[in-house]
Amino acid sequence: MKQGFNLSKIKEGVAKAVFALAACFAVLSVAAIIGYLLYAGIPAFRETGVGNFLFSTTWAPGYDGPASEKFGILPMIVGSTIATGGALLIGGTLGVAVAVFIVYFCPAKFKMPLVQTVSVLAGIPSVIYGYFGLKQIVPALAAISPNGNGTGVLAVSLVLGIMILPTVASLTKDALEAVPAAYYEGALALGLTKEQSVFKVLVPSAKSGISTALGLGIGRAVGETMAVIMVAGNTVQFPKGLFDGFMTLTGNIVMDMSYASGVHRSALVATGFVLLLFILVLNGILYAVKGKGRKERRKFRFSIKNAGDKGASKVGNALAGFYNRCADGAAEIAQKVKMTALKATDKISCATNAAVTAVLGKGTDKEGKPIYKKAGGGYIVLKVLCAVGTLIMVASVAYLIGFIVVKGTQAFIETGFVNFMFGKGGAGKNSLAPAFVSTGALIGISLAISLPIGVCAAIYLVEYAKSGSRIVKVIRLFTDTLSGIPSIVFGLFGVIVFNDALGLGYSLLSGGLTLSVMILPTVVRAVEESLLNVPLSYREASYALGAGKIHTIGKIVLPCALKGILTATVLSVGRIVSESAALLLTAGSVKNMPRGITSPGSSFAVMMYMYASEGLYMNEAYATALVLIVIVIAINAVIFAIGPKKEKKIERKKNNG
Amino acid sequence: MKEKRITDKFEVTDVAVSMKNVNLYYGAFQALKNINMDVAKGEITAFIGPSGCGKSTLLKCINRMNDLVEGCRIEGTFEIGGRNIYGAGVDLQTLRRNVGMVFQKPNPFPVSVYDNITYGPRLYGIRDKATLSAIVEDSLKRAAMWDELKDRLDKSALALSGGQQQRLCIARALSVQPQILLMDEPTSALDPISTGKIEELCAELKEKVTIIIVTHNMQQAARISDKTGFFLLGELIEYASTEKIFSNPEKEQTERYITGRFG
Ligand SMILES: Nc1ncnc2c1ncn2[C@@H]1O[C@H](COP(=O)(O)OP(=O)(O)OP(=O)(O)O)[C@@H](O)[C@H]1O
Ligand SMILES: [Mg+2]
Repeated sequence: MKQGFNLSKIKEGVAKAVFALAACFAVLSVAAIIGYLLYAGIPAFRETGVGNFLFSTTWAPGYDGPASEKFGILPMIVGSTIATGGALLIGGTLGVAVAVFIVYFCPAKFKMPLVQTVSVLAGIPSVIYGYFGLKQIVPALAAISPNGNGTGVLAVSLVLGIMILPTVASLTKDALEAVPAAYYEGALALGLTKEQSVFKVLVPSAKSGISTALGLGIGRAVGETMAVIMVAGNTVQFPKGLFDGFMTLTGNIVMDMSYASGVHRSALVATGFVLLLFILVLNGILYAVKGKGRKERRKFRFSIKNAGDKGASKVGNALAGFYNRCADGAAEIAQKVKMTALKATDKISCATNAAVTAVLGKGTDKEGKPIYKKAGGGYIVLKVLCAVGTLIMVASVAYLIGFIVVKGTQAFIETGFVNFMFGKGGAGKNSLAPAFVSTGALIGISLAISLPIGVCAAIYLVEYAKSGSRIVKVIRLFTDTLSGIPSIVFGLFGVIVFNDALGLGYSLLSGGLTLSVMILPTVVRAVEESLLNVPLSYREASYALGAGKIHTIGKIVLPCALKGILTATVLSVGRIVSESAALLLTAGSVKNMPRGITSPGSSFAVMMYMYASEGLYMNEAYATALVLIVIVIAINAVIFAIGPKKEKKIERKKNNG
Repeated sequence: MKEKRITDKFEVTDVAVSMKNVNLYYGAFQALKNINMDVAKGEITAFIGPSGCGKSTLLKCINRMNDLVEGCRIEGTFEIGGRNIYGAGVDLQTLRRNVGMVFQKPNPFPVSVYDNITYGPRLYGIRDKATLSAIVEDSLKRAAMWDELKDRLDKSALALSGGQQQRLCIARALSVQPQILLMDEPTSALDPISTGKIEELCAELKEKVTIIIVTHNMQQAARISDKTGFFLLGELIEYASTEKIFSNPEKEQTERYITGRFG
């Protein structure tokens, strides 16, 4: 008896250890990325000096020998800042407008299609945005440009703007939907018009959520690579006008990385490190603004006593310390957020008060009664602007997809569909067959790694770790951080670790490994979500019959969460298919058929970039773009089909053993 | 192997469960205060009392479901068949096989009727199709729903009505032949007709299975139970035959509760 008893105990223990290890993977990955980039960037920092590197204006790799080398990235920092600012101005504004329209003003039957449009927009690969920009936006701008130059600041702002729109729109939508209904009721009860309620009460009370949305939009814009290099003009200079070419941090990395060596290469990695730091700081600020910072600190302190894992608690505290310091800056905001939250849970009267003060300011008449301003036309104008913003988005999507479909179909007719799709290729003949194989291999490798790790990590977070515990928070924080890291940084990490240190060179294996780190957060989150949706009562019933934890997870919980795992898989496939920057650095950009997973290969997106950038193969580029668009739309359709229907709010798991 | 028999089985004696000096804490909060109570074999025992008085808590101690709750600390002894179920060498799986549980909200697994009932037996290593089918038939018959369900064994359990789901859960609990069955407000989510069916069922089952039932429904306790325990703020105020509790309770608090004057 003892033996059987111990055996099952051992099994449970081993399983728990495996899950815990998997859960630490995100933490390890972030640490490794920071560590390796810093390590490989140190030669450049040492040669140039950190100050010089960041603030000098000449970028001159050693064309005339190492002595004349200069590595100053200020123009790129400025470039990235300008690009991001432009994108935020356009995409941020549009994104918020679209979200407000969808949540408050959209006729019910258009809601779903609009949400779908936003998610298709989010799934379109950056190479397609870039090529669309190059072929449509740049020529149009060239026509009105005083210097005849279409590329540059405005082109980048427009392209990046459309690209960050879905990020901003979908997160803003979430934030707006989280505003308590009592606010709206309260405002209406006061006799405010719908428009007044929306713009004076509801939108302002989602402020922190909207700032988070904009912040993540910034992250996306700063990290974007491929689309930018296709329309930026790529001259290392400070742009002086809307039509001046410039270079971003990301562009500089991807354009030089393929041939750079020595200090030049190190300088590129160092550039990536600067980018990474910026993203980390941005994440820290967002984390603080979310108002979690303060709450979390309190929890951290109070729960030290109950620390289960001593070692982890130290790490946790150090981290908490770091983020708390970030949070201090935003303490005031956090306080405000908390007040809002308190009010939100309170009675309608609070909302009504908020509405009164919001609309009336401090105005009262002689008798001390509040003065109701006349419902100004201003809010109607805002509403119309939201509708216009939504129209602009829809028009952009229609234009972009229509353009690719028309051009792609033409291209297929000219090149011969079967020939181009599945032909032998080689010797002057182009074919997508190698891209099919390479994309398949990349998907296979990265899913084979990240799916098991991600599922195990999610199991640990939901089934084992105490909910709301320090460990869970730290892991979740790192998972979020990992998902915010730009793909070019993953690319650099892959080059340093897989291509160079492990000696894999340009290879599908190296690309797949890099992607597996990249998609890990997507998998963890999707699976976690679906595990949380498995009712606690199923687990209880299983335990009550005498089943152990592993048995319950394997036989009840995972089967119930299958949909979520499927969603995670499809989402990951989408991410892999549209990735290009990281693959360009790690898996290479050859056009021929890979001979195995250790040989280089190009996915559809990379292939498309190669066709597009060489300028000789317009048809091939359009045709590949069409294939990509079809894949993206198919993926969206699948996710929509299997996605959780919102009808039933299932009881949430609160506790576990 | 001999040792396995001894440690691995709970042979219910005349006293099915014997609880002595039980104190239970959720963190610093004491939810149960010095409970002493013997549950007789082959009877239905009802736990009544106002919300939050610790009925579910005590019930969950008997199959050790409280082990899943963080920060829960238990003092005192729970003996089944003369063995302390919290003692060393007790196999949780064996305990829970002998002490089944039915929950307040019907919680069938989202699989077929058949798979719901075979979940337990499979867990205990039964793989043979014929044996499993026999268990399904037997369990459903004991739960008085074989005729209703015999043609729908492969249908999803979620397609059943709430009352059917709850009886299926009872059948599922019976599938592993428990000697004691814990029921935590098993009818509170059901309509009167389904409730009646489950009450009938309990009366039939008690020959073979000792039942402990938590209920908020005074009439239910009076109708089906042999003994009743009245709890208040974590204490067992009065424990006697149901007849006595409802006709002539000793304590004033009990009387006030059953006549509906507090809780
Ligand atoms: N997991 C837990 N952690 C902390 N306190 C708990 C927990 N479960 C129950 N309690 C507390 O213990 C006390 C007894 O709870 P219990 O659920 O046993 O009451 P009950 O008599 O079953 O009530 P009800 O009739 O509402 O089901 C309550 O005060 C409850 O708040
Ligand atoms: Mg209860």
